[in-house]
Amino acid sequence: MIENVMRIRKLMSLALSAVMLCMLFLPTSLKAEEAKEYIAIRKQGAGRIAIALDRTSAKGGKESDWAKNIDGNVKSGLDFSGLFNLMQAPVNMRSAQGGALNFAALNSVGAQIYAGGSVSRVGNRVGLDMEVYDALSGKQLMKKSYSADETQLRPMALQFCADLIELLTGKRSLIFGSKLAFVSSRTGFKEIYMSDFDGQNVVQLTSSKSISLTPAVSPDGHYIAWMDYTSGRPDLYIRNLATKTTVAVGKPGVSIAPAWRPGTNEVATTLSYEGDQEIYLISADGKIVRRVTRSPGIDVSPTFSPNGSQMAFVSARSGKPQVFIQDMQSGAARRLTYSGTYNTQPSWSPLGDKIAYSSLQKNGEINIFVINTDGSGLLQLTGGSRNEYPSWSPDGSMIVFTSTRQGKRKLFMMNADGTNQRALLQIDGEQQQPSWTRVK
Amino acid sequence: MTNGKFLRRALMVPAVLALGACCSDQDVVAPAPPPPAPVAAAPAVAPMGDVYFDFNRSALTPASQSQMKTNAAWLAANPNSNAILEGHCDERGTDEYNMALGERRAGAAKDYLVRLGVASSRLQTISYGEERPLDTGHNEAAWSKNRRVHFVEK
Repeated sequence: MIENVMRIRKLMSLALSAVMLCMLFLPTSLKAEEAKEYIAIRKQGAGRIAIALDRTSAKGGKESDWAKNIDGNVKSGLDFSGLFNLMQAPVNMRSAQGGALNFAALNSVGAQIYAGGSVSRVGNRVGLDMEVYDALSGKQLMKKSYSADETQLRPMALQFCADLIELLTGKRSLIFGSKLAFVSSRTGFKEIYMSDFDGQNVVQLTSSKSISLTPAVSPDGHYIAWMDYTSGRPDLYIRNLATKTTVAVGKPGVSIAPAWRPGTNEVATTLSYEGDQEIYLISADGKIVRRVTRSPGIDVSPTFSPNGSQMAFVSARSGKPQVFIQDMQSGAARRLTYSGTYNTQPSWSPLGDKIAYSSLQKNGEINIFVINTDGSGLLQLTGGSRNEYPSWSPDGSMIVFTSTRQGKRKLFMMNADGTNQRALLQIDGEQQQPSWTRVK
Repeated sequence: MTNGKFLRRALMVPAVLALGACCSDQDVVAPAPPPPAPVAAAPAVAPMGDVYFDFNRSALTPASQSQMKTNAAWLAANPNSNAILEGHCDERGTDEYNMALGERRAGAAKDYLVRLGVASSRLQTISYGEERPLDTGHNEAAWSKNRRVHFVEK
């Protein structure tokens, strides 16, 4: 019974992969039973998985180049997840060409898992055959074939990473197809950029030669909203990413920090055209839908719960900036943060249970905290410099943020518990205001 | 003809001439007219200047009132000019909140000018948050210069 459920789950996730990746890949069987066993053996919080990655074998010059590319992308993808201790498989893994695997060699380097495969030419496409084994028992956990156009080697490698992570943790990673939107002053002006989840494939979206700030991509991936001064005023722009059509909200006063509401094509933002800084809902065509907050003083920085029914935001209504949560239907608001005197930039986890935010501290540092939505479990994640603008990964496992720990403002990543903090992107200028967008 | 009659007629000529001389401008050296009283607009009006704020506050401080009066006087003396009031913040705090705070500062300055008699339609406000600091230093000396409303002639 359980095995059937596992198979159905596997089939559903495979179907999802096919839809997401436009029929690039031809999957074969996954060994559900062994995987289930393996997941059960790995306890919660067991630490990183020691995985030996073998060089993907290939015959021919072109095939060898493909193999190198795939190996590089598999390695960086698995490394990015923070789940693995990566090691190179020993050279004597196979006793003979196509022969049995030398698990003794693996055990001697302390590997728990072995992954390896081969690349071949399949018609005019690239074929990748991967196998995954439990190093201790020698059991095969996974055998899967992929195929892709040679321009899609990275997505194919990342598909394997996602499959491997699901195999070993039971959870489908939403990270590998996701994107980041952010601000960079690389050109001398603050402009909007997008990149892959790991900072690769950076694309410049605006050329305002002005000040462009706070990008946010809609949950369906169709629109990006941001604020810039090209009209002479800080105005909100919404661009259709496919057609490049752009509309401006065009109201007098400011527009600050847009956030899309899940389940809708509406974006919340702060406008001041009625005389006070309040949060409004705007449709993707730039029209005001309705006013959301009614409180004298600053109301800014909205972020929504996963189903869009609640909105966390910053308000000065109790004196200093604090994070509040408002029910979108009833309009009732409650205060969330009581620790500290300056709490801003809330970001609601896609898992729904936590909100990350930044807190200006007495010593002048700004640091990122996480709190449960019921107000319990306050946890400080960063220290030592100016760390701000947290944004969650689509599966709630990681947070991207801005840090000045290296001097200039740069983008950093960390796990949701604050571990594994590392720099993300190395391009000129300063980078800030990252927004992690869901998989399309 | 008698002597008296002749004398009267004789005197008429110089009288007429004298009259004519009195009525002619060219040869008369009249005293200069007294100078007019001094007109009220005469003293030079100081240009508009910045006003400053406490950290995280948008209320005008007592110290800024005299500068605000100077700015109002300049606008009164230059009725064909208008002003853009730019609200700025120091680098502490976070960008989005500072964008709102900058606007509140500009708004407070505008309200005060209106109370001093400047027409609201002559005053435009804009916030730059912490995006355009005057002083890029990382200490209170720099920060205090950046927490300001800057007045720009338009």
